[in-house]
Amino acid sequence: MTDLVAGPLLVALVAAITTLLARPRPRLQRGLSLLWGVGYLAVVALLFETVRTGGPLVYQLSGWPAPYGITFVADSLATLMLALAAVVSLAALAYSVLAIDEFGQSLSYHPLFHFMLVGVSGAFLTGDVFNLFVWFEVMLMSSYVLVAFYSGPDQTRAALQYLVLNLVGSGLMLLAIGGLYATTGTLNMADMARRLANAGQYGIDPAPVLGLSALLFVVFALKAGIVPFQFWVPETYRAAPAPVTAVLAGVVKKVGVYAIVRLYFTVFAAATLPASLALPGLSGRSFLAFYGPVLFLMSVASIVVGGVGAMNRGDVDGLLAYSSIGQIGFVVLPLAIAATASDPGVRALGITAALVYAVNHGLSKGTLFLASGAVRAETGTRSFDDLGGLATSAPVLSAAFFVSALSLVGIPPLTGFFGKLLVFDVAGQAGAWLALAVALAGAILTIGYVSRAWNRGFWGEPGAAVLGRTRRPRLVAVVVALALTLVAFGIGFDPLLSAAHAAAAAALDRTGYVDVVLGVIV
Amino acid sequence: MTQVLLALVLGFLFAVGTFLVLRRDVVRVVWGVTVISQAANLYLVTMGGVSGSAPIVGHGADPAGVTDPLVQALVLTAIVIGFGTTAFALVLTYRVYQEHGTIDTRDLARGGEGQ
Repeated sequence: MTDLVAGPLLVALVAAITTLLARPRPRLQRGLSLLWGVGYLAVVALLFETVRTGGPLVYQLSGWPAPYGITFVADSLATLMLALAAVVSLAALAYSVLAIDEFGQSLSYHPLFHFMLVGVSGAFLTGDVFNLFVWFEVMLMSSYVLVAFYSGPDQTRAALQYLVLNLVGSGLMLLAIGGLYATTGTLNMADMARRLANAGQYGIDPAPVLGLSALLFVVFALKAGIVPFQFWVPETYRAAPAPVTAVLAGVVKKVGVYAIVRLYFTVFAAATLPASLALPGLSGRSFLAFYGPVLFLMSVASIVVGGVGAMNRGDVDGLLAYSSIGQIGFVVLPLAIAATASDPGVRALGITAALVYAVNHGLSKGTLFLASGAVRAETGTRSFDDLGGLATSAPVLSAAFFVSALSLVGIPPLTGFFGKLLVFDVAGQAGAWLALAVALAGAILTIGYVSRAWNRGFWGEPGAAVLGRTRRPRLVAVVVALALTLVAFGIGFDPLLSAAHAAAAAALDRTGYVDVVLGVIV
Repeated sequence: MTQVLLALVLGFLFAVGTFLVLRRDVVRVVWGVTVISQAANLYLVTMGGVSGSAPIVGHGADPAGVTDPLVQALVLTAIVIGFGTTAFALVLTYRVYQEHGTIDTRDLARGGEGQ
């Protein structure tokens, strides 16, 4: 049964290799790619259900026991993120098969896409810090090539910026991991958590661990695109093909969020701050008390920079890219509240809110980027100046855009409503009035730029580009299908909420995580 | 003594890498990134201890006095990844030159303002 943990990884790896081998036969390659996309969703669903009913699963690579070998852990947190990845990537694959030109697809698109999924799955499943670095590299390597895919002037410039930033990030990550290994004596996350919880017994000085974890935090913040590490986001998202952008914004960004939740709430929270480093005015002595204010400032800056930046963009993709900076702030804000909260109930609620919001953002931003891609495929432009009147001329596509934009704003009964509600709820319960005010301002900014996008792109008199559009009904069908998931998860919100609750509990249950990984019978 | 020397070399390498990353020439930026990642590798090797004996069973030394072999395995992985990314970075630099006719970051940024 524990072999199932490696399932998503194997499916994605086999998909990448078979689509690489099938390059001489483009139709077969596209069919295989889609088939494996469905297979990935199926195996993730099976893993999700097994973990939901039977508790976390642990897979020791080559049978080496936990602190010595590499461990894969599938708990509620990892499977929730995998499920998001499976849904968004399947829609993006279906869209790619229809939208990317045939030569490009047969060249390298499908193997790269699946290798990116290999990296994403590995990052969600691994229980080893260095292994996390390796999966990050697998994911990034494919994403560099996918960002540069059309290799025009814009794409090469954006890809170069993305590449150099992430290479510097990788160097920093390697440094932080090396330092953590030297100070804690282990790379296994569970073992590290256990050692940090009894720092004195293992002779660990918490001060360098704090500095190294802060260095590692920079890398995750860069991956998640949180201010002040957001500057690569707009250009990269505008340059990449639409389905790749959907996966970058919907899934790859969430890998950074996942790593923050997993490492800082499960592992580093175990350590105690040295008295000289405790920030004034905060009572907690866990590392989380240090990261709470940091997360808070970064989330506030993200909400403001993203929201204000999205207001005056001249094209749909630029607006959506800035919006995803702002929305990631909404994911980090409840994490900041959870980090500073002393009440365990509020802390769990904060992580639940962050995860629900992350799932909502993954689905709605994925739909929006695909819809923007479909608008561009039909009209040949994404600039607001040339658009307008899409609502009358392309009602179905406009409706899909409208629904996912409303989910971003947070209108019931869509998923986004519950995401926003939980963020406000946790801010209220923690008595964090400043956070509540920031969230409110962010929500108003979201309404502002969404209505602006709607007014300029979809209302009014149809322009020449819109009137002369070529119909792509199958592309629109994919966009509509993904938009419907937002409605479905909104109306049937209970399964998502209980999955997020379980994931938050798994993230905070350090002893449970340590016991299950290190093989203690529970 | 070795530790002090290595610390100085590491500091020098990071300084050189940072200096190169901040240049306007894209090729130098790529070299800078490469130097930084190699410096990180060197740092990783020193974390395993520099004065122990070879970690081979039955080699004579007591188990407590051997150099940690794990970091060397990690560095091998990191070196291979570094090779791949450096090769890609250089090819991408060439593509940037083909598309823009320049590899000066300031000119590249100016090309972006027209959009």
